[in-house]
Amino acid sequence: MPKRRDILAIVLIVLPWTLLITVWHQSAIAPLLAIRKGTNDGTETRHDTGPATDSKEYCSQDKDIVEVVRTEYVYTRPPPWSDVLSTIHVITPTYSRPVQKAELTRLANTFLHVPNLHWILVEDSQRRTPLVTRLLRETGLNYTHLNVETPRNYKLRGDTRDPRIPRGTMQRNLALRWLRETFNSNSSQAGIVYFADDDNTYSLELFEEMRSTRKVSVWPVAFVGGLRYESPKVNAAGKVYGWKTVFDPHRPFAIDMAGFAINLRLILFKPQAYFKLRGVKGGYQESSLLRELVTLNDLEPKAANCTKILVWHTRTEKPVLVNEGKKGFTDPNVEI
Amino acid sequence: MNGVAVHSALVCTETHNAICNIHNEATGKDLLISALNLYTSLTHQQVIMRMRLKLKTVFVLYFMVSLLGLIYALMQLGQRCDCRDHAKSKDQQISQLRGELQKLQEHIKTSQLSKKTDVPRIYVITPTYARLVQKAELTRLSHTFLHVPQLHWIVVEDAPQPTPLVTDFLAASGLTYTHLYKLTPKDRKLQEGDPSWLKPRGAEQRNEGLHWLREMGAAAKGKEAAALEEAVVYFADDDNTYSLQLFEEMRYTYRVSVWPVGLVGGMKFERPVVEDGKVVRFHTGWRPNRPFPIDMAGFAVSLRLILTNPQARFDGDAQMGFLESSFLQHLVTMDDLEPKADLCTKVLVWHTRTEKPKMKREDALQKQGLGSDPDVEV
Repeated sequence: MPKRRDILAIVLIVLPWTLLITVWHQSAIAPLLAIRKGTNDGTETRHDTGPATDSKEYCSQDKDIVEVVRTEYVYTRPPPWSDVLSTIHVITPTYSRPVQKAELTRLANTFLHVPNLHWILVEDSQRRTPLVTRLLRETGLNYTHLNVETPRNYKLRGDTRDPRIPRGTMQRNLALRWLRETFNSNSSQAGIVYFADDDNTYSLELFEEMRSTRKVSVWPVAFVGGLRYESPKVNAAGKVYGWKTVFDPHRPFAIDMAGFAINLRLILFKPQAYFKLRGVKGGYQESSLLRELVTLNDLEPKAANCTKILVWHTRTEKPVLVNEGKKGFTDPNVEI
Repeated sequence: MNGVAVHSALVCTETHNAICNIHNEATGKDLLISALNLYTSLTHQQVIMRMRLKLKTVFVLYFMVSLLGLIYALMQLGQRCDCRDHAKSKDQQISQLRGELQKLQEHIKTSQLSKKTDVPRIYVITPTYARLVQKAELTRLSHTFLHVPQLHWIVVEDAPQPTPLVTDFLAASGLTYTHLYKLTPKDRKLQEGDPSWLKPRGAEQRNEGLHWLREMGAAAKGKEAAALEEAVVYFADDDNTYSLQLFEEMRYTYRVSVWPVGLVGGMKFERPVVEDGKVVRFHTGWRPNRPFPIDMAGFAVSLRLILTNPQARFDGDAQMGFLESSFLQHLVTMDDLEPKADLCTKVLVWHTRTEKPKMKREDALQKQGLGSDPDVEV
């Protein structure tokens, strides 16, 4: 009898705790998700992914990490966020020109569909322009607004071989530096880094393909290199062994900026890897970064083994503003 | 004597001892038995006591542990649990992530669009034609349209029959759409080397869209007909850029609403000039003397007006820049125009144009027979 009581007591104690422990782990995620989805319809503030203030100061740089808040009546759907999916950090260099607002608008309309997207917009300007600041705030996206000015090409005396810094390089490097300063290798949420120019066209499927990148993933890009599309050559074992391009296929990485994505961990692991600023031949910019990060063997082909086109290297025509005349025909205060 | 005494004493002691021994043995056994008895009773007692103690301490322990557990759980509530990744296998993780993703994507596609059913519908007519950048243009256009509630996309191809590219694309887009086609007759079509301004483009396709709308309007009954009373029609080319606010501006149009268009007419933007809430003239640098010097992307027409004016259509033979006028002059006068976008002071749509991609290398390869795989859709 004492033994039975003993056993009964032990059972009564142990059973509920084992149940609790086994159920707890599973349900730890579900309530958190329910909170996210439930408040997607209402007002929601999402905790930001990095420090809110920056004490360091660079030459002409400032940081701005903003919490995602539901704003205009039009953008009634704040971008979806999940604690399980990896974050895609999209680095976009941009510069002021008549079509800038249009390009960024339609880019933002695409990005609003991608869950867990963090847009790092780097302006090529001395100061952050109000146009971009306002645009970013109104989209409701999760963003970081940086700026750095590319020094205009000047010919030094006797140094006529000083080549131009390829457009966007300094801006992309700044974004990489920001990422390295904001995230440490131990952060639990995975991240993918993608370089997206503001005039290209991206399908939504592309972002889901790149989300599973372990080191560096690659895919075909349309309208580059004077071809319908350029793509990596993938063998039967699913490994990249070459590049299907006409323009210098013997580059270490004959791929366009929009054709690859890098895992954030790799970026943090190799803190010296940046795009080379000077002395880079045309078409070798991507290689200047990638060769410090991976070898050809480590590349992961996506887009159905590099057979589908999910990104197009479109370019927008420069609008002909002949009727503006010298003084400007239209009201300069109206933002376009 | 002494010896004997001693001896007897010894004997006595011996016997005594013996007796004692025997006695001892006897008592030893007794002792043993009694000792055992005592022991069992003692242990019995002890066991009972321990049992009682055990139960008491057990309950006390239970209380303490559950209290600690509760505190721990409360602290854990705010933090993420990191051990879920270790607990599950990779496959389970992947399938869980995929499920998550699908759920989120479904949520994106259906959440807001299905919610707002009580707003007027917007019919967007987009003429399109096959060229390299067609799929890219339609893709990014669809991304914009997916954000607009109650939008019905009418895509009219300049083709003898629907192309698989557009058909598959529309089916996967997630939008409400109608897929039409109308081939432009050869004499009205732009030839390879012609500049884009030589002949107006898309007139036949837009007329086809209008024709479909009129047929649908005639066949509609009851609730559907009531919905059509408030609907708006907008002509959106596939290479322009539209902000989301534009659609909210045009949604409530009684007759014809107008607004500025960016990057058109050789200027930063063209706009109607508004005084006292009415459009008095148009600020444009190119041929301002047209009846309606406005771009196709700069106005929207209420469906009611289109259904009650069955003869209004685009004139494919119109002069350059007069295409919009050929349609609007049958419908409305300048006085009746409704200015939107903050009395025509904000630019919400841009007349962007996409460069034709250079295919020099592709063409060279095609000649050698080494062109890129034509099965891969671009």
